[in-house]
Amino acid sequence: MPVLIEHIYEIVVAIVITVLLGTGALIIMAIARRQRRDRYFRRIDDLRQRYGPVIATMLSQKLEYERGREVLKGISGVDRNYVLEQLCLEKKPTPDQVPILRRLCEDLGLVRVWQQRLSGHLDIASIRDTFASPEGVLHRVGRLHFLLRAKAADNLGIIQHRASWPLLVKALEDSHPDVQAVAVRSLASIQEPASFAPLVERLNAVILKPSTRISLRSIKTALVSFPLKQTAGLAASLAHQHRRIRFLATDIIREIVERQSAWEEDFVLDANVFPQELGEIFLGQLCFDENPDVRARAASVISHLSDARSTPVLLTLLEDAQWFVRLHAVRALAKRKYLSQAPQIAQRMTDPHWMVREAAARTLLVFGRVGSDQLAAHFLATQDRYSQEQIADEMQRAGLIPNLLAQYGGEAPGTEGKVIEQLVQMGKTSYIVSVLQSSSDQKLRRKFLMTFGRYLDPQIRGWVRQVATEETDPNLRTLAQTVIRPAIKQGES
Amino acid sequence: MEEWRQVFYHAMNMFNVVIVSYFFMANGMYTILMILSLGSVWLHNRRLTYQGLDELRESAVTPPATILVPAWNEQDVIVESVRSILRTDYPALEVIVIDDGSTDESMDRLIAAFRLVKMDLIYRPRLATKAVKGFYMNPRLPNLLVISKENGGKPDALNVGINMCRTPYFCTLDADCILERDALLRLMRPIVRSPENTVASGGIVRILNGCEVKDGKVVSVGLPKTAVERFQVVEYLRSFLFGRTGWDLLGGTLIVSGAFAVFHRETVMEAGGFLHDTVTEDMDLIVQIHRWATHHKRKIKMKFTSDPVCWTECPAQVTMLGRQRRRWQMGLCQTLWKSSEMLFNGKYGTIGMLSFPFHLYVEALGSVVEFLGYFMVPLALLFGMVPVPLFILFVVLSLVYGSFLSVGAVLLEELTYRRYPGFRDLVILLIYAILENIGYRQLVLLYRVQGVVRFITGFRSWEKVTHVGAG
Repeated sequence: MPVLIEHIYEIVVAIVITVLLGTGALIIMAIARRQRRDRYFRRIDDLRQRYGPVIATMLSQKLEYERGREVLKGISGVDRNYVLEQLCLEKKPTPDQVPILRRLCEDLGLVRVWQQRLSGHLDIASIRDTFASPEGVLHRVGRLHFLLRAKAADNLGIIQHRASWPLLVKALEDSHPDVQAVAVRSLASIQEPASFAPLVERLNAVILKPSTRISLRSIKTALVSFPLKQTAGLAASLAHQHRRIRFLATDIIREIVERQSAWEEDFVLDANVFPQELGEIFLGQLCFDENPDVRARAASVISHLSDARSTPVLLTLLEDAQWFVRLHAVRALAKRKYLSQAPQIAQRMTDPHWMVREAAARTLLVFGRVGSDQLAAHFLATQDRYSQEQIADEMQRAGLIPNLLAQYGGEAPGTEGKVIEQLVQMGKTSYIVSVLQSSSDQKLRRKFLMTFGRYLDPQIRGWVRQVATEETDPNLRTLAQTVIRPAIKQGES
Repeated sequence: MEEWRQVFYHAMNMFNVVIVSYFFMANGMYTILMILSLGSVWLHNRRLTYQGLDELRESAVTPPATILVPAWNEQDVIVESVRSILRTDYPALEVIVIDDGSTDESMDRLIAAFRLVKMDLIYRPRLATKAVKGFYMNPRLPNLLVISKENGGKPDALNVGINMCRTPYFCTLDADCILERDALLRLMRPIVRSPENTVASGGIVRILNGCEVKDGKVVSVGLPKTAVERFQVVEYLRSFLFGRTGWDLLGGTLIVSGAFAVFHRETVMEAGGFLHDTVTEDMDLIVQIHRWATHHKRKIKMKFTSDPVCWTECPAQVTMLGRQRRRWQMGLCQTLWKSSEMLFNGKYGTIGMLSFPFHLYVEALGSVVEFLGYFMVPLALLFGMVPVPLFILFVVLSLVYGSFLSVGAVLLEELTYRRYPGFRDLVILLIYAILENIGYRQLVLLYRVQGVVRFITGFRSWEKVTHVGAG
């Protein structure tokens, strides 16, 4: 049948009408949605005003628990559970509040509902909520049910509901990656020791089956949050033939150890806190692992071990063929107990890779006076320009220049004077000049002027000119003027 | 004479076919994007209820990131911006401000406000850049580094920042933008949570005009006062909420706003960093990364998410709007032109087969077709080649369809984030969504065509857009 102009008219008119109706429908939807949401938020705000203080005072233990619970039981309506969930979990609870909140959620029947939802059962309350909450009907659409399961898993994690850990472990096999990821997180929050092994299993499965839809980082984050004593559960992974599994297991232990050491001063990994078996694996196997990533990550753990073998092992890693192993070894030695290794660390200041040089300088600075002396001595002795540049960089970043200048201005400057001189000769004068410009130490300024005033460095020259013209102290001004004249001539010639 | 008349009639007919095809193709694709993003944004919004930002914030596994802030003559906003950026909620954050040879007091103000001292630090230029004049730091504020360099444009400034950046990821942020406190965490979430290698993550840019800002923070969201600004609010909603979300869902992300995006540093360096041969360095980088990844057989992912928010000032004056849109269009053409090998190239997957052709034929060349249509169709009408009622029907359809898409964007906002709280705001947005197609759309079209003309004529300069100081 030929297409006639009348047909085109009809088609276009039909499209116009459809689009017009569609636009109208969208407008109505937007307005209706706004009105409904406004009503909903007014109700929530009202409930928050009425019951929010009750929950807050219960959690801060200013209100007797039973009284508060009875008040909250008074909340009714089709969306009771939804509203209670909103009120109870509105703010992240502090560690002291968690037990009270957990008990409250149990007593109000919320835990049971969440458990049922997570296990995929339909309960009366869920069905009621489904029709009461704004998107409830959609939640019942099979493909969208994961939203309810994931939220339920999340809630159980927030209140650290220990009894729910088997359900959460089961959720690691859920068909939707969101539910798996939230279950992993909730297990980390609950920290049930028995859930560590399934999480490790899951980690290994993700490595061995790259098609898995859950991120490796999510599982690693969860495992890292467990206490140190759980690391025994990683022994098999440390000896695994798959190099990535060994690497991740090592890295997880490293993260746990680092976290623990940040909390405790003089932290040591001894047999009381760390399984001896693991210590042996680290000292006997992992530091010689064929995978350089494993060797690198092992360095940090080894540095905390209270074993005489750790120092020689770390010194071996300091000479590793891979630059990032050396980098991690240098960083691992940044503890005061390795103060005596400062000369070996200083040798890494001439490492071919700049990141190792930088780490070595930073490690030496961690040692305080001894380290900075070592750094200064190396700075003055070395002929390696890269090494000198790196040290000058670190001295500036760490804010050492004002101290060096103050000591240089003192009676017996010694090394500091030579360091300053070296910095000036390298043209690293910006920071020095900034300090001099803001310093009120006339003795220092005079001394610097007399020693370095004639240097051709543009920054020093600018400062000398400034002193020669703007200085209020007539003696210093005259000195600057005498210094600058030959300097100008020298520059001209 | 008759032959010429025949040629003319033939050409007119051909053009009419082109314009009708363009109309259905463009609007069809926009409708598909709208439907896809309606579902996607709604679902994403629901998923946010169990997102676990706290875990990301507290985890030792969350990778450190650096915010790079290129700035040129931003003396009025720079100090407050940097203060606000330093307050960003992120566990391991560094900030690098790159002053691109400002001629105003930007550097002096930064030095005074943060007590910075000049240092002679090591500069390792893996990406070639203009000379660096100095590094400024305060040892007590070790996560802030200010770099002063010779003027070389935004891409050059960003490359200097990348060269000095030490973290695996960096976030580009314009100096006049305001980042919501947890925006970087939200932007990093797809990178951390994705099982795939996500090398770029973009967030939504919203319009600051009309909002109340206090201490570098948006404290109250409102609509701007002038029509030009309000039209842009609708336009941004459409572009970000359903344009970019739709393409993200299809795996065809070709644009990530450089005003606010996170990139994997090593990937960007491997891909050659920000190049200077286009005026829209953000889109250019994305295309470049796609090409690099395909050539090196790397499996990468780029993600757009609609909940990390960055607020930016939009042009309040028509002349400034013109400058902005001409630049955007010119940059689009430059980028697409230099990467023409991607067009219908199966090696690039959705990008090559769908996203690139769409951006070329609809976003770049479509402006010219639509613009010519405003002249040619009436001409055809004049010569009696198109019946009057059909002409009127098509005009009505074009206006109604435009409104339908814009209203859809407003509905999407209403279904999800509802950032404009007043009922009046919603009504105004809906009105402007309808009115956008009468006058504003044609104005923007004119600027876009000017952008194409500038691309063809080889115009290279960057027109500076000045703001009146919204918020």
